[in-house]
Amino acid sequence: MEALANLLHGFSLAISPFNLGIALLGVVLGVIIGVLPGLGGTSGVAILLPLTFVMPPASAIVFLSCIYWGALFGGAITSILFSIPGEPWSVATMFDGHPLAKQGRAGTALAAAFIPGFFAAMISVLLFTFFAPPLAEIALRFGPPENFAVLLLAFSTFAGLGRGSPAKTLASAAIGFLLASVGLDIVTGRPRMTFGSITMLSGFSFITASIGLFGIGEILVSSEEALEFKGVQGTVRLRDIWEVLKTLVRNAATFVTGTLLGFWIGVMPGTGATPASFMSYGIAKQYSKHPEKFGTGVVEGVIATESAAHAAGIGALLPMITLGIPGSPTAAVILGGLYIWGLQPGPALFLEQKDFVWGLIASMYVGNVFGVLLCLFLVPLFALILRVPAPILTPMIVLFSAIGAYAVNNTTLDVWLLLIFGVIGYVFKKLDYPLAPLVVAMVLGDITEEALRQSLILSDGSLLIFFTRPIAAGFMVTALVLFFLPALLPLVTRIRGRMAAQKA
Amino acid sequence: MRRAEILCAAALLLLAAVALREALRLSIGWGDIGPRGGFFPFWLAVILAGSSLYTLVQGVRRRDAGEAFLRREAVRPVLTVLVPIAGAILLIEGVGFYLASFVYLLGYMRGTGRHAWATTLLISLLFPAAIFFIFERWFLVPLPKGLLEAYHPF
Repeated sequence: MEALANLLHGFSLAISPFNLGIALLGVVLGVIIGVLPGLGGTSGVAILLPLTFVMPPASAIVFLSCIYWGALFGGAITSILFSIPGEPWSVATMFDGHPLAKQGRAGTALAAAFIPGFFAAMISVLLFTFFAPPLAEIALRFGPPENFAVLLLAFSTFAGLGRGSPAKTLASAAIGFLLASVGLDIVTGRPRMTFGSITMLSGFSFITASIGLFGIGEILVSSEEALEFKGVQGTVRLRDIWEVLKTLVRNAATFVTGTLLGFWIGVMPGTGATPASFMSYGIAKQYSKHPEKFGTGVVEGVIATESAAHAAGIGALLPMITLGIPGSPTAAVILGGLYIWGLQPGPALFLEQKDFVWGLIASMYVGNVFGVLLCLFLVPLFALILRVPAPILTPMIVLFSAIGAYAVNNTTLDVWLLLIFGVIGYVFKKLDYPLAPLVVAMVLGDITEEALRQSLILSDGSLLIFFTRPIAAGFMVTALVLFFLPALLPLVTRIRGRMAAQKA
Repeated sequence: MRRAEILCAAALLLLAAVALREALRLSIGWGDIGPRGGFFPFWLAVILAGSSLYTLVQGVRRRDAGEAFLRREAVRPVLTVLVPIAGAILLIEGVGFYLASFVYLLGYMRGTGRHAWATTLLISLLFPAAIFFIFERWFLVPLPKGLLEAYHPF
């Protein structure tokens, strides 16, 4: 029960007045980011990252992770009341949430998003608390070949599980890695890919890239349609909470499946809350007694998506903290923060930075309590943000983005890069290039290259080293299978079809 | 969409070529301490080239043009967002963040939003002031002050 003792110590840190204040501020900002459709969790966390430069790392991680929890709660508000997804992971919440709101049951829909989301988060934090230490212990025995194999696995999940063209996913990840390699060679310290320019020596910042790609890009995409926020009013009454609790008990299976599935997908590197919510919705619909009612406003539809999204949000931080690999794009930005604060993400954190790790875990409990309470009681206040007209919101988001980009190196060059990345993000979004692999590759570029080069030094240049060590081999095989999954699946169905045809 | 797809893939192919040249210049072989600096970028450039070529060929082989990348009536709204952003960045570089944000908010709210002068002025003045206190005073993030540097009271 060492975990329990550590957790108690973590709580003693998390409930210091300063950290509680930081957590509350993070959750409030997160909910606001979640509510605003043009501003996602990934770019939101990146914009606010410079604020943490003056905080001690233990408070900084509480701040950033609480923004993430807040954004998970906030996205549902916009989806349900305005039928516009505030976040990508709340798209599926819209399917049943908005019809409910239009039927005058907005309060029920909101409660059905917040309460199961909160319970799912709590169950996931419990899983996290007891899974993380043993996982970190295993990971401590990893050498460079194992690290590289895990990193490769992270990227093949993008290609294998992601929707859309694998070629585009591959291109996106390769661009990210190439951008990361600009600057100084990590092994020899010599400049490379700088084309003789001194400003390029410091390389590209993942902060500028993620704010530009996700933030500015999204503003440009949404500018095409004149967005009008015509929403439904909604407050959560005690009656709604009671009704949701009763529905939750009747649909316990949906809730538990959503939570466990969400946690698992969250832990899988690179995927995160968005696919989790869609998959959970699909399963709930398939196994429902009345699947035809899904999409017309059923409470369990909202329960399914939100429990999975919240569980995935927590799960995404598990590989980040134990292996140094982010489980979602937002976790990738938080991971990048760790490097900036001078920490080396990975299993060693559990030995060397106990306060940091357990303070973070304790703040997951605290942050989600703040999140659910704030959202349940202050929904009308948060919904008010959407009544602010777009011509006021747009320049404000742009200016915040500019500050975030500028603060990285204190140069206006980064602000120009922000605009360039914004245009790239706009074009990529329209042409269906996934953006997440690019940002994750930028964050992980250096350590991936280091792991690869060190492994090759160990083996004198033979790639076989990845297959002769048992743990590395396991990861490599999984990575390769996942990577070729999109190519294998049609083959399998074709063979099955032929076999069925022969039988007939 | 088809033309945009082909153009984008071609641009990525060009990027791959530039990276490839640089990687070869750095040498991709085996050095004193393992693989040389160009080794990793080289293989990435190869992957980028391969996947872009695939997308390019797919685009060329497609018969239908698909819907337009940017509908004619959407050009204006996108530009009215994009151009002021570029202008604001130019101003940040020239006269500092605070004056730039005042001008940007004023121009955008008045020009695009057609808000009343009173609201416009109030927000354009309050926003930079709030930014100053939050970033500069509380979180110690210095922003470019440009022309205002001389009058900086702290």
